[in-house]
Amino acid sequence: MGGTADILFGGLFQGSLYAMMAVGLALVWTTIGVFNFSHGVFMMLGAYFAWQLVTWGLPPFLAFPLSVLAMAGMGWVLQASVVRPLIGRSNLVLVVVITTLAAGSLIENGALEVWGPRSKQIPPLVSGNVMLGSIGVSLHQIAIILVTPLALGALWLFLNRTRLGLALRAVAQNEDASRLVGLNVTMLYGLSFGIAAALAALAGIFLGGYRFMSPVMGVDPLLKALIVVVFGGISSISGPIYAAYLIGFFEAIASYYFGLYWTPALLFAALILTLMVKPEGLFTPNRSRGLA
Amino acid sequence: MALLELVDVAKSFGSLKAVDGVSFSVEAGEIFGIAGPNGSGKSTLFNVITGIPFGPDRGMIRFDGEEIGGLSGNRIARRGLARTFQRETSFDGLTVFENALMGLSFGATKMPAAQAHEATAEALTFVGIDFASFGRLAGELSVYQRKCLMLATAIAMKPRMLLLDEPASSLTKPEIEASVELIRRIAGRGITILLIEHVLTFLMSLSQHLLVLNQGSVLAMGAPRSVIEDPRVIEAYLGTRRAA
Repeated sequence: MGGTADILFGGLFQGSLYAMMAVGLALVWTTIGVFNFSHGVFMMLGAYFAWQLVTWGLPPFLAFPLSVLAMAGMGWVLQASVVRPLIGRSNLVLVVVITTLAAGSLIENGALEVWGPRSKQIPPLVSGNVMLGSIGVSLHQIAIILVTPLALGALWLFLNRTRLGLALRAVAQNEDASRLVGLNVTMLYGLSFGIAAALAALAGIFLGGYRFMSPVMGVDPLLKALIVVVFGGISSISGPIYAAYLIGFFEAIASYYFGLYWTPALLFAALILTLMVKPEGLFTPNRSRGLA
Repeated sequence: MALLELVDVAKSFGSLKAVDGVSFSVEAGEIFGIAGPNGSGKSTLFNVITGIPFGPDRGMIRFDGEEIGGLSGNRIARRGLARTFQRETSFDGLTVFENALMGLSFGATKMPAAQAHEATAEALTFVGIDFASFGRLAGELSVYQRKCLMLATAIAMKPRMLLLDEPASSLTKPEIEASVELIRRIAGRGITILLIEHVLTFLMSLSQHLLVLNQGSVLAMGAPRSVIEDPRVIEAYLGTRRAA
C-alpha cells in the first residue's frame, strides 16, 4: 500500500513539474517553429526573482505572481532580441539553438554575479506536512499537484475560448494566412514566448520552495522537458502534457523497483524504443503543427 | 478615383525580373482580371500588393488614395484588402467556423463576440457552407468547399477589395460555374475584385477590364474582348492555346 501511494504521489508530483516546463517549450515550437534553449533560465530567474521580492519583504502571494509576470516580460524581450531578428533566414532552427543557448548562458552567469553561488530557498506555496496513508508529504507538493492542472486548464481556456488564443492557434498552422486576416504575427511570437517563460517561472517557484536553488537549477529540468516534448510529440501542446505525466509515473515506478541509479537509463531505453516505433512522438495528432 | 493604383511596380529575385514596371488602376466596384502564361508574374504581383510575403522593390502602390507599398501584410489587410491563395490555404486544424471567425476578429472591422458569431455564420452561409459543417475541421473539407471557406474568411473581413488567385484551379466544370456565380454575388456586395485566372472563359465571363502579363510586364490591357484579340497576346499566350 505504501509503495503504491509512493508511486502515485511521486508520479503526479514529477509529472506536474515536467508538464509545466514542457508545455512552454511546445508552445514556442508550435507557434514559431524553434526550440528555446534558454527556457530553463526562465525557471531559474523566476525562482530567484521571487526569492528577491520575498527577501525585500513582499508577501509570497504578491511576490510569486509578480515574478511570473516579470518573466513573461523577459520572455518577450528575449524573443525580440535573439529570435525575431533571425526569422525568415535559412537554418532558423539551428541558429536559434545557438542564440538561445548563448543568451541562456549569459543570463545564468549574470544570475551568478548578482545572487552568488550560495544555495537559496523560497517559501513553500503552503507550509506544513500531512500523512497520505502511510507516506508523509508536504503541503507544498500537494499544492503543486493541484495548481498545475489549474494553470494548464487556464492555458487551454485561453487558447480555445479567447480570440487571442484562436490567433495563436492560427499562427501555429499558417503564418501567411494569419497575416492575410490581419494578425500581427510578430506580436503573437512575443506572446507565445512570454506565456512559455511565465509557465517556466511558475515551475521555478514550485521547485524553489521544494529544493535549494542555484543559477544552474534550470539545466536539468530543460533537458527533461526536451525529453518530454520529443516523447509526447512536438507538434501539439496536449501531447507533452500526457507525456509529462507518463514519464513522471514511469520514473516513480522505475525508481521504486530499480532504484534512482537505473531510472535515467530505463527512461532513455523506453524513449528510444518509443521513437523507433513512433518517431513523430507518442501523442502526435495526424497533422503538422497546431496548438491542441 | 481608382481604389487600387500601381505605378511602375517592380520585384526582382536576383537577375530575374518577376514583376517589371507594372502600372494599372482598378476602379471601385469593378471586377478586374489578370491573365498571363505560367511564370508571367501574376502571383508575385499579388504578393507585392498584399505585402505577403514581400513588398515591391520599387514603384508606388496606392490603396484608396494611401500608399501601402511599405506596410506590413497585416496592416494592409486591416485597411480592407483581402486575398485568397491559389492553393487552398486555410487553418486546417481549426474548425470551419473558427476559420471564418479569424477574418472577423482581426480584419478591418472589430465587433462584439455575439455580433461576430452572427456575422461569421452569415459569411459561411453566403458562400454555401451549411450549418452542419461549421464544426468540422477545415482540413476535412473538399477542395471546392475549402475554396469557399477561403472566400468566407475573406469576406468576413469586410474588405473593400478582394484579390482572388486562380479561384477555379483544381475545380470541376460545375464547381467552376458555381464559383463564377459566387464571385458575382461577392461583387454584388460592393466588394471590388482583382482576379487572376488561367481559365480564360472564367475571366472573360467576370471581368470588366483585363490585363495580360508576360515575363513580368504588361503586354495588353483594356476591355476583355479587345485584349484577347490583340496580336501580341495571341502570340504570347492565347496563340499557343488555340494551336493546342
